[in-house]
Amino acid sequence: MRTSFFLLFTIFFACAPTSNPTQPDPGTLPWEELVQQARGSTVQLMMWQGDPLINAYMQEYVVPAIAEQYGITLKIAGGQGNIIVQQVMAELQAGKETSELDLLWINGETFYQLRQIDGLYGPWTGALPNGQYIDWKNPFIAVDFQQPVEGYECPWGNVQLALIYNSAEVPDPPRDREALAAFVRAHPGRFTWDVHFTGLTFLKSLLIDIAGGADMLSGPFDEAKYQRYSAQLWAYIREIRPGLWKEGKTFPEAVAPMHQLFANGELWFTMSNNDSEVDNKVRQGIFPETTSAYVWDGGTIQNSHYLGIPRISANKAGAMVVANFMISPEAQYRKQDPAVWGDGTVLDKGRLTEEWQQRFRELPPRKYAPSREEMQLHALPELAPEYMIRLAEDFRKKILEDNS
Amino acid sequence: MKKPLRLLSWAVFLVLAALPLLAGWGYAGAYSLGMTGLLHKGVTLAHWQAVWSDAAFWKSMGFSVYVALTAISLATFFALLSVVAWQRDFRRGWLSYAVYLPLTVPAMVVGFFTFNLLSKGGLLSRISYRLGFTDSLVAFPDWVNDPFGIGIIVAHTWMAVPFFMLLFYNLFQSEGLVSLGQVARSLGAGSGQVVRKVFVPVLLRKASPILVLYGLFVMGSYEIPLLLGTQSPQMISVLAIRKLQRFNLMDVPQAYAVSVFFVVLVVGVLVLVSGRGKRWRLKSKDGVLNQKMAS
Repeated sequence: MRTSFFLLFTIFFACAPTSNPTQPDPGTLPWEELVQQARGSTVQLMMWQGDPLINAYMQEYVVPAIAEQYGITLKIAGGQGNIIVQQVMAELQAGKETSELDLLWINGETFYQLRQIDGLYGPWTGALPNGQYIDWKNPFIAVDFQQPVEGYECPWGNVQLALIYNSAEVPDPPRDREALAAFVRAHPGRFTWDVHFTGLTFLKSLLIDIAGGADMLSGPFDEAKYQRYSAQLWAYIREIRPGLWKEGKTFPEAVAPMHQLFANGELWFTMSNNDSEVDNKVRQGIFPETTSAYVWDGGTIQNSHYLGIPRISANKAGAMVVANFMISPEAQYRKQDPAVWGDGTVLDKGRLTEEWQQRFRELPPRKYAPSREEMQLHALPELAPEYMIRLAEDFRKKILEDNS
Repeated sequence: MKKPLRLLSWAVFLVLAALPLLAGWGYAGAYSLGMTGLLHKGVTLAHWQAVWSDAAFWKSMGFSVYVALTAISLATFFALLSVVAWQRDFRRGWLSYAVYLPLTVPAMVVGFFTFNLLSKGGLLSRISYRLGFTDSLVAFPDWVNDPFGIGIIVAHTWMAVPFFMLLFYNLFQSEGLVSLGQVARSLGAGSGQVVRKVFVPVLLRKASPILVLYGLFVMGSYEIPLLLGTQSPQMISVLAIRKLQRFNLMDVPQAYAVSVFFVVLVVGVLVLVSGRGKRWRLKSKDGVLNQKMAS
């Protein structure tokens, strides 16, 4: 027994974090030298792989193009949000000197957590030549969940929360809170939201609407404001609860099961944080042709998704070259094509050459979602991350666990 | 066994089985007490107190016990019924496929099948609608993601029945229940009495350690309750993973506290079961001795 305790403690000490040796910062190298250094290397990217169109874009276009143009082998592993945070945390806790990962596809919540554990390398985006096409002052790019990006992550795409409905069942979808309350009273069991990221983004949009606009909640987390407006939000949810799916006693675990409930007709609404998903899903035959997406009058949250590099990545140079390619006009143009992925570009089109501007203009429009310009009119900025953490906790305590 | 060989087997057991488990448990314990972790701020009982004082945690424990007890009871009932009523070898012929096949299906797939079978948009709901029992698909009762865990219980029962059938059948043979039944009948017992007083008590007593172990397995299951359960109450593994993976990194130590508690519970039950097992063995040995002495 004594031996096993001794062994246990040995393991603990072996696992204790050690300081990392200082590596030369690739961000300080001239770009040509950095590209040269990255040639022949392998970059390990961790990203969400839940959409066949996104996977096809990466595997059939990005991976071969990177290999051909830069001699870099791009390997992609599946994982998102919490999986990424867990992996980076585990590596830091184990005192690893180099990470298994070099590039991460992240959004605000993951960015916040990774910054919280000092898991990201930066600032590095200033070194990217294609960064010249990005408007770094655009609030939807420069600030992620009310946190300045400060060069620690590179924007890759831009999306907005869209409500999705079946127009065969709902000819005139509700456009504000009052209309939604009336709708669920008249058609119980057809509307809900998931308890994960998308549903919480919807709750944040409701909170902003209740507060009277994005300006009211902008800036750092404000406890008093949160208390005041969230109390109204919970009261509103309790009011509409009997008309929600399963009388609001439970909610879909994530957006994928909610899509399934929508596809099989149990729900008349679903929602997506990716405004182009509706076109993709109809094209794939998952959603009926009568599906449509919209944004309601109070607005929905728009945000960018980003690429980050772990602080202890062994191939930061390679990761930067790959990220630079991913924000090139060519790669962004292909990505925005609804037939390819339909993801909004992060490039400021005014900074592109006339030829590229023309090509972007000629992209086929979306069929089932409003145009980006139209949605932009109802775009709300992300709130400080604490709002989401508190909403998630309180939604659980005040709604899910209160089944009275 | 020779001494060096015995030592080697102990060493292999220690290194491959016991140590990783102990190390993991120790690490989880240290994490839950704030002794390690990237965001730890020194030793504290705060995370344990947060778990203890959380009504959702106790609801979750109660719900897990309820689901495990119900699923095991139902599966035991169906398996006993088929073994006692048929008394045939399920390991041969076409029946073997029906029995072995469910054992090979992963829990995730069983969960998915159950969802497609029992949900409002599922197969049963569609059949019921076609036959006119329900006037719309949503009128079908809530059998998945429901507060009583019906979907979870159905899925676990379906997974457990074939396993229990094999278990009971093997015990039926090894305990010589056919001849015991004949003895009882020759002494005047009716068929019902043979089943109630001979078959069922012997099978249940012999199988009980495995039934308890399977119950613990159901209590700790993850995929099926994740797919078929509700957000409140959640089964214990779903609750632990939620605390581990959701937005608030400050909840991570609580996830470790929940898992440490669950391991303590499992080990406690195992010790109890093995203790009772020993007593039974002693008792039955005594029984045999008494018989011998009497004869």
